[in-house]
Amino acid sequence: MADGVGTRSARLPFGGREDRLKRRLLSGAVEDNLRAIENRPPGRLYRRRRVRWPIAFAGLAALAAGALVLAPRLGWGDFAEPTPGTLVATVRAGDDAAASDPDLPPTRVPAAVFPVVVRRVVLDPGHGGGDHGTRTPTGLTEKEITLDLARRLAERLGGAGYEVTLTRQGDERLELRERARLANERAADLFVSIHVNWFEDGRANRGIETYFLGPTDDPWATRLASAENLESGYALADVKQLLESVYSEFRQDQSRALAASVQRRLVRSVRELSPEVADRGVKSAPFLVLVDTEMPAILAEVSCLSSDEEARLLAESDYRDRLAQALFEGIQAYSHSVRKGG
Amino acid sequence: MSGKGQMLSVGIDLGTSQSAIATSTGARHVVDSYVGWPVDMVAKKVIKKPVLIGTEALENRSLLDLHRPLEQGLIKEGSEKDIAAVKEILGHLIGLAGEGGKEQKVRAVVGVPAETLRVNKQQLRQVMRGMVDSLIIVSEPFAVAYGIEALLHTMIVDSGAGTTDFCVMKGRYPTEEDQRTLTKAGDSVDDLLAKLVAERHPAIQFTIHMVRGWKEQHGFVGEPQGKVVVTAPSHGKATQIDITEEVRLACQSLIAPYTETLLDLLAAVEPEYQERVRHNVILAGRGSRIRGLAGELEKALADLGGGKVSAVEDPVFAGAAGCLSIALDADDSDWEKMTA
Ligand SMILES: Nc1ncnc2c1ncn2[C@@H]1O[C@H](COP(=O)(O)OP(=O)(O)O)[C@@H](O)[C@H]1O
Ligand SMILES: [Zn+2]
Repeated sequence: MADGVGTRSARLPFGGREDRLKRRLLSGAVEDNLRAIENRPPGRLYRRRRVRWPIAFAGLAALAAGALVLAPRLGWGDFAEPTPGTLVATVRAGDDAAASDPDLPPTRVPAAVFPVVVRRVVLDPGHGGGDHGTRTPTGLTEKEITLDLARRLAERLGGAGYEVTLTRQGDERLELRERARLANERAADLFVSIHVNWFEDGRANRGIETYFLGPTDDPWATRLASAENLESGYALADVKQLLESVYSEFRQDQSRALAASVQRRLVRSVRELSPEVADRGVKSAPFLVLVDTEMPAILAEVSCLSSDEEARLLAESDYRDRLAQALFEGIQAYSHSVRKGG
Repeated sequence: MSGKGQMLSVGIDLGTSQSAIATSTGARHVVDSYVGWPVDMVAKKVIKKPVLIGTEALENRSLLDLHRPLEQGLIKEGSEKDIAAVKEILGHLIGLAGEGGKEQKVRAVVGVPAETLRVNKQQLRQVMRGMVDSLIIVSEPFAVAYGIEALLHTMIVDSGAGTTDFCVMKGRYPTEEDQRTLTKAGDSVDDLLAKLVAERHPAIQFTIHMVRGWKEQHGFVGEPQGKVVVTAPSHGKATQIDITEEVRLACQSLIAPYTETLLDLLAAVEPEYQERVRHNVILAGRGSRIRGLAGELEKALADLGGGKVSAVEDPVFAGAAGCLSIALDADDSDWEKMTA
């Protein structure tokens, strides 16, 4: 099981072409260093590659034809209308060394070639009405914060051209299944549920975690899921059946990718202010609000009211803007990656 | 090509706990990443050197202002002393590798933790100025992948002291989204082991250095091969304690975060290649020496479709050797652009 990997062993499946792959990697390393030398901002290398346009357009025609065949394989087949943008573009970028090598992985066609795929986003501010969620002794409530964050996020998404719907507009109580139904009815491309955490284990603890739907044996996640599931409106039997039907679905991969993207931005942004905040990572747990949604869906616990420091920051407009901006960037980055086909 | 006669190419792995160098002349050296300056005049007299590096520094730490400059894989922002310490380590390694007195041009490829690369790249270039003629800085896991030619559809897990770096190789120079850095690594295992031992044996006295030694000697996950019994003082008397379960628990704490991160990165791999990546997970870094680590990760992956995990043969030099390969493979024209 743990056999050693030798130095310079011939692990690559393609003997001679290995050199071309190496050239590609080396020029990537050189380019990355040049950027530092020239004091250019660190970018994503592959986005900067030029596309050979004639090839790209030839490929585009073929892609349009193959769209319906490929879409289900990518896990998007269940959704409303598969758009060409969801496809993996097997057109090669103008990378000289590896330009026409069928064994090297394809580079993506830039996003601009395709229409936007993630268009409709449903935001779900956690709790509401008589269900306050968590709250501090000073009266700051989760339901108020999540709604405010959702509004700030909606404004940003709207500005970037997304169609945004909130599951609740005001301080109203809404069953979890209602929230999911709304997202399904709108044929949303993404569902993002916003919550604020509470850690029992000490006021000093501060952390961010993002969940997607899936099984878990982490007792913490189970406890959290059951707390967030209180208002579900589902019968227990329904729940079991629902869970079984979704765990195996491909949607999980997309949700995980979305969760990872959001988590990363949140952590990075919050740590600019408070380096000590814990990255509690991307996790899966059986949150019911995620169960019944038909699109990639996540639940982000963006902060925690149990920490005095977080509670103080959460009362500030600047901090809420920061969280909303990070959520926005996470969603944005995810939809870009989808546009690229990943 | 004619210039290559006086050209020395070096690969350097700049690590949190150890740094290593491998050169085109076949030299290999490793040094603990500790740097210490005498605290006062008295210390200076005793030490008789302006600065100590590696084990020497560790052994004399009571007389020194001791720095381990890449504590969490990062050079601390604005810490002049840590920057100076990095400079000392690199200078020391290059000094060991150079052939004294000879006029040579030095081309260096330096591998650093992914997080350092993200945050401190400019700083590192400045530190190296004057030490080498040209310089390429890469992330440590990329260097490892390059060195063992695991270039495509592979995942490198570089288990170090301050950080564990994950890097998935997709046939391109890894971008930020191909890499992840966890602070669950050797140091966090040490901390946990210390806590567990202290809880179970309140009277035992030990230091974090002892704990690290126990882990390095006995670290395992899964089934123990025998009892882990170590000796430590209790009320001034040497006492034997059984820490089998504590060692297992501490090392085991890596499995869940490692698995989660593997999956996280896998999710961003194109579906048709995920299977191949899952079967090409390669452990590097000295943390890979925890017995049973590859097997336990395979077990965790088994529930998720299966996978194969192996470990590099020589975790001490895998990074430096990879850097050297990069240095030797890069064209002269590339190197010309990389003036330090
Ligand atoms: N035999 C071993 N078993 C388990 N851990 C080990 C062993 N040898 C070293 N380590 C641990 O590996 C870590 C250092 O790994 P290394 O690859 O040198 O890291 P870095 O690149 O951060 O310097 C330390 O935490 C050290 O205690
Ligand atoms: Zn909540």
